[in-house]
Amino acid sequence: MKRFTCSGCSLLCDDIIVQSDGLFISEVIGACLKGKERFDQVSAKNRITSPLIRKNGELMEVSWDEAMNFVVEIIKKSNKPLLYGFSNVTCEAQEAGIKLARDINGFIDSNASICQGKFLNKAKSLGINFTTITEVINKGDLIILWGANPAETIPRLLNKLLFSRGKFRMTGREIKTLVIIDPVKTASFRVMGVRDLALMIEPNKDIELIRILKEECCSADSIPSEGVAGIDQNDLKRLLLHLTGAENGVIILGQGVIQPHSDYDLVEELLDLLQLINERQEKGRISLMLLGGHFNMAGFDHVALSAYGVSGHLEFEHNHKVKTEETLVSKIEKEDFDSSIIVGTDPISHLPHSLSSKMAKKPLILIDNHSTATSHIADVVLPTAITGIESGGLAYRLDQVPIELNKILNPPNNLPSDEELLNKLHGLLNKGGSE
Amino acid sequence: MELYKFLPKTNCKKCGKPTCMAFSLDLLQGKVKVDDCPPLLEPKYKKQYDTLKEILGSEEGQQKELKINVDEDLCDGCGICVTVCPVNARYCPSSLSGKAPDYPPEEHQLFQVIGGKCELLKIEHCRRLEAGGRERECRVCETYCPREAVKIEYV
Repeated sequence: MKRFTCSGCSLLCDDIIVQSDGLFISEVIGACLKGKERFDQVSAKNRITSPLIRKNGELMEVSWDEAMNFVVEIIKKSNKPLLYGFSNVTCEAQEAGIKLARDINGFIDSNASICQGKFLNKAKSLGINFTTITEVINKGDLIILWGANPAETIPRLLNKLLFSRGKFRMTGREIKTLVIIDPVKTASFRVMGVRDLALMIEPNKDIELIRILKEECCSADSIPSEGVAGIDQNDLKRLLLHLTGAENGVIILGQGVIQPHSDYDLVEELLDLLQLINERQEKGRISLMLLGGHFNMAGFDHVALSAYGVSGHLEFEHNHKVKTEETLVSKIEKEDFDSSIIVGTDPISHLPHSLSSKMAKKPLILIDNHSTATSHIADVVLPTAITGIESGGLAYRLDQVPIELNKILNPPNNLPSDEELLNKLHGLLNKGGSE
Repeated sequence: MELYKFLPKTNCKKCGKPTCMAFSLDLLQGKVKVDDCPPLLEPKYKKQYDTLKEILGSEEGQQKELKINVDEDLCDGCGICVTVCPVNARYCPSSLSGKAPDYPPEEHQLFQVIGGKCELLKIEHCRRLEAGGRERECRVCETYCPREAVKIEYV
């Protein structure tokens, strides 16, 4: 039985059975509701199947040649293009995007920079381990969810990590301890057993918890008797016991810990704590796992790292020189760009209004397969095949493991994949430059 | 112990069990019936036989049909019920990222996730019907459902 990889979220489940006749998908077995939605997108109502150009305020269907020429004109006029997105495309398309940015002196960044990217970069520089799902299933005995609610965001994660019976942990759920640190009683709390630890922390007090754990690591009995950040003393002691006693623990960081802070850096403090605990560890180690949303959230940093030795945003100048001082947010705030190329994302609904309104003022090229809030203000929309269903490629799972996606159906109207489209654009621009 | 009082207590081994105590324990778990004890059918044990029938009969009368309801509106297809169900796990092949059920489903399989929702295939091999002893009290699918979509009831 051939099993396919689902591209619904960053978990990239590789055990999905798809029944299709080559034209339509009749049944999807094993995928969660989120994955099912991804497969349903093939014939969704808001699917775009031909290129669109805005004429007199309305998006009009045009031929591919007209649309590509229009895009080439916009890019040629622009001196500082901004390329953003690249989390819902394959690594091959990300590579093509970086090449395109290099040749048009653009600034390129992915969704990860306003999400999990800084954790990834910081952890890599400190040498903290990222664990894999297979390792947690087979050897894990402690799972800490910090500001994460996988029961609702990545439905099959808890199924795999917590309930699957591993090779060296035959009993599965019984041997694994679950700790949830969250201010809200989410759906993930419902899978807790008697041995598990639920820590209802007060909002925005994560830093106090981290600092007291660090102090307690260095000198015993520094936890005040009234507790810290809404968590009582006994629970804190139990948490520390779990952290230092676990053989193979994993801390799963969700969106809850990604907040901008002016006076301290939560990322740095948290990773510091992790290092301190790993030094004090008696038997094993604690490693890290990041919960990204888009299916190839982790990929862009890996591709950029292998191409330019820099993970995260890249800004190209003449002669292919790379700068990394500016970030996506500072770039948009200063309005230091004159056109934007958005690939497979929806910044108009994701970014705050102060940023998205600045983006909307400049010419906007959208490469996506659906109409979104961004397509309503885009000047030109280039549709592509849906990755993981209509085109294949490589994507990084949330535990930084590369997984291959397969093609199941042929795309409607012979739509190009993201990679093919970006390469074609790159070729057209190069041809124009030599003339 | 309640049941043991009404047995002949002769340890005659005619039922195939070593002692009357062993027989009473099996009787409690529903493995054997009252009629499996030959001496009890004799006229001198008639009163005890009737009492035992009454005790067990009343329990049997209360025994209603087992139903597992999966609420389709609440379910998000996480597949925890597929993984935790001890009957499912015995027959599912393991894939790289944990256990994955087969398709078409194995004949013992209780749950499968199809079209993003959990579906109850058949109930015959549920532990609450087939297993004995403490295993008969199994409720894992209901306990661990994060959406509270699985409900075990007797109708």
